[in-house]
Amino acid sequence: MQQHPKGIWRFFMVNPNGIEFKVSARHALFTDPLTKIGGEKCSYHIPTYEALKGITKSIYWKPTLIWVIDEVRVMKRIRTQTKGTKPLDYGGGNTLAIYTFLADVEYQVRAHFEWNLHRPELKDDRIPAKHLAIAQRMVERGGRQDVFLGTRDCQGYVESCVFGEGDSPYDVEGELAFGLVFHGFDYPDETGESKLHARFWQPTMFNGRVTFKRPEDCTVRKYVRDMGIKKFGDQNLRGVEAEAAELED
Amino acid sequence: MSWIHKLYETYEQCQGRDMAGEAQLLPVSHAQQQAHIEIALDAQGGFKTARLINKIETYIPATEQSAGRVGTKPPPHPLCDKLQYCALDYPLHGGKKPSFFNEYEGLLNAWCSSEFAHSKAQAVLRYVHGGTLITDLVDAGILHVDANDNLLTRWTGSGPAPELFRMLTPNAGERDQGDAFVRWQVWEQGNPCTAVWEDTSLQKAWAWFDASTKTLKGLCMVTGVGETALAENHPKRIRHAGDGAKLISANDSSGYTFRGRFTDKTGLQACGVGYEVTQKAHNALRWLIHRQAYRNDDQVIVTWAVAGKDVPDPFQDSLALFLSAEEISQADTQSPPTNVGDVGQAFSLRLNRAIAGYRAKLAPTDDVVVLGLDSATPGRMAISFYRELKSSNFFERLQTWHRRSAWMQNFGANRQFIGAPSPRDVAEAAFGRRVDEKLRKSTVERLLPCIIDGQRLPRDLMNSTVRRATNRVGMAHWEWEKTLGIACALFNSYFHERDYQMTLETDRLSRDYLYGRLLALAEHIESRAIYLGGEKRDTTAAKLMQRFADRPASTWRTIELALTPAKSRLRAKQAGFLHKMEVLHDGIVASFQGDDFLDDRKLTGEFLLGYHCQRRELNSPKVDAIASTTEEAIAN
Repeated sequence: MQQHPKGIWRFFMVNPNGIEFKVSARHALFTDPLTKIGGEKCSYHIPTYEALKGITKSIYWKPTLIWVIDEVRVMKRIRTQTKGTKPLDYGGGNTLAIYTFLADVEYQVRAHFEWNLHRPELKDDRIPAKHLAIAQRMVERGGRQDVFLGTRDCQGYVESCVFGEGDSPYDVEGELAFGLVFHGFDYPDETGESKLHARFWQPTMFNGRVTFKRPEDCTVRKYVRDMGIKKFGDQNLRGVEAEAAELED
Repeated sequence: MSWIHKLYETYEQCQGRDMAGEAQLLPVSHAQQQAHIEIALDAQGGFKTARLINKIETYIPATEQSAGRVGTKPPPHPLCDKLQYCALDYPLHGGKKPSFFNEYEGLLNAWCSSEFAHSKAQAVLRYVHGGTLITDLVDAGILHVDANDNLLTRWTGSGPAPELFRMLTPNAGERDQGDAFVRWQVWEQGNPCTAVWEDTSLQKAWAWFDASTKTLKGLCMVTGVGETALAENHPKRIRHAGDGAKLISANDSSGYTFRGRFTDKTGLQACGVGYEVTQKAHNALRWLIHRQAYRNDDQVIVTWAVAGKDVPDPFQDSLALFLSAEEISQADTQSPPTNVGDVGQAFSLRLNRAIAGYRAKLAPTDDVVVLGLDSATPGRMAISFYRELKSSNFFERLQTWHRRSAWMQNFGANRQFIGAPSPRDVAEAAFGRRVDEKLRKSTVERLLPCIIDGQRLPRDLMNSTVRRATNRVGMAHWEWEKTLGIACALFNSYFHERDYQMTLETDRLSRDYLYGRLLALAEHIESRAIYLGGEKRDTTAAKLMQRFADRPASTWRTIELALTPAKSRLRAKQAGFLHKMEVLHDGIVASFQGDDFLDDRKLTGEFLLGYHCQRRELNSPKVDAIASTTEEAIAN
């Protein structure tokens, strides 16, 4: 196992701008896209990059930065559980479906942020120490927004942790492959082109750890549709100095 | 790896390797239909002969649309189809239904004029162009017309109705002969394969042509290959012929099942699967379900080795496992060894041999997949369970399950064995024979991880079964015996680390075990006395079993007092027997530790084990035979 230095310095040595956290929940549903369109959702056995990115964004996010997930560690044995569900129809009424969830999940996640270079208007906000300090505070407080694993039905909890600490039942299990799995979406505001793509990759879990490919390294892409970029600027953003000045008045 | 990819791999590995006489893997771009009429043509498309066949399932070329055709303007199959499609002269003979000859001819023509044309298809095309199909069949005595040369819709002639009329499904009493399904034979010189449905070159030619017509291209999310022909529809009829549920379907034109980030109604933004992949995967799944699935209502659980070898069904009880194992390895059918110490050992040996029989056929790294399907609505199907394991892992888990949950089972005269009960029997033992279907399904599903993942048994299942086995008044004798065996098996499985033996353990001194033994003893004494007196009634011990389980110490007083008349009778007639029993009784009571004998708390399921073992010990094996192996094992 990789030895980490202790204390705050380890973040800078392992990965500057990095945070580590533990997320746990009674259920998780990282929907396999094949089963998504029919409505009988069935979960992948491991979390997708996009789901973990979403969790990290729930902890803390500003348009200035992009979260990159480095690694996830599966801390509990993968169990599935099916539930009969009653999804509501948009037009009224309901339908019946069987969802297959992961039950009793816990993951350790290592992530770091990078600047979103497609937002030059937010250049002044690129202050690493500030964002890192907020992010770490938010990990300790369990995140800013609701945390859910894959699907909105699966609420989860975030705690701070040291990545790699504790035992996982997969510590000595060797390698496990999952075939072609959804990685994440290329959103226009992070890629700069006004198209939405879905990315795929072939993950393998080695001794309970999945090391994620960086989004730009994924070669399998599927064009989804055209999409615009949301603009941030003077209209919907406000500097913290202005906010503070107003509060003092 | 994803379930669909595993199925696709299975298809690739098993294709062409299936035995004759078994269900075959359906080729890509094909469908299964029941044919009524078989027509033989020569290579030039001349009519040779025709005969009626009795609705034989036939593989016919089909397009993606025709395979799932319904409605008023159904798309045609390209080669074999109903007379309504194939016969140009169907309207001329007063056909009641609309003729779809033009559509049929158009499709067949397109195929025959493409680079993927096949000589047999061309012969059929030449023949149907002639427009004499109905006439030829009338001449051959297969179709029947009235005086005006119109096709009959009901039999009016004398004598019994001809065979074709009996095969067709009536609609308001009328049978349209245009519904008869045709399959072709083409007699070519030097080609022994005359049947179009057996000709693999024709099947391939059709598949290529069909693939060449696909316009929808994109990324296949299973293989990751870009710019492949994508499926617009995914197959249905997965579990059985009338099954309308699909595994993959876009079901959203008005709701928000998947829309939001995706804006189209077809689901193609969210999901795309290659046509060939989905066809092969679904065909493989259908084939596997047909061959080896556990089925219960809508629930299907199928276990298979990707390499196509036999794997034991995890849903069998041990007896069925042994029998099927002995069936596959016929070389190894000598009688089981008899010189083993106890029942448990004989069972272990048999289990090891059974698993080894399967193990020998698979490499340890071969993949075994367990897939569970279920549907909540008729139109869609959900994957309720999915596991991939290495075969070595799978066998290990299966063996562990059978070993841990083994007990002496008595399921009726011919079904006495030592081993684990099947999940289905467990559900019935836990919730009664008339268990609600949904409860049965979910119980089976909860047991799956216990077998496949080696998880501990759910405690409530064990408790419920023990409770029912204790309450024997409500059950017929055979049912109670069965429940008792299963309850013991489940308790044994749940507390496997306590290492209970399948024989009487005289050195086990726990309160519950000893109380169980006492109950068996009381029952034995009383039933002997009843037998001697020529009476027929339940023993007090049997009647009070449930109360005994709740308050053993105080109930034991009642039971023991009720034994007094029985003992008097035995003292007069079988003093020796009574003496033996009294010695045993004293021995058991003396074994109680401390205040255990006075402790009136509820008994756990352990008392059933003590009861069952003591009862077996008291009743000679001749009377309470479990299996021939056991008898011999005990005799030795």
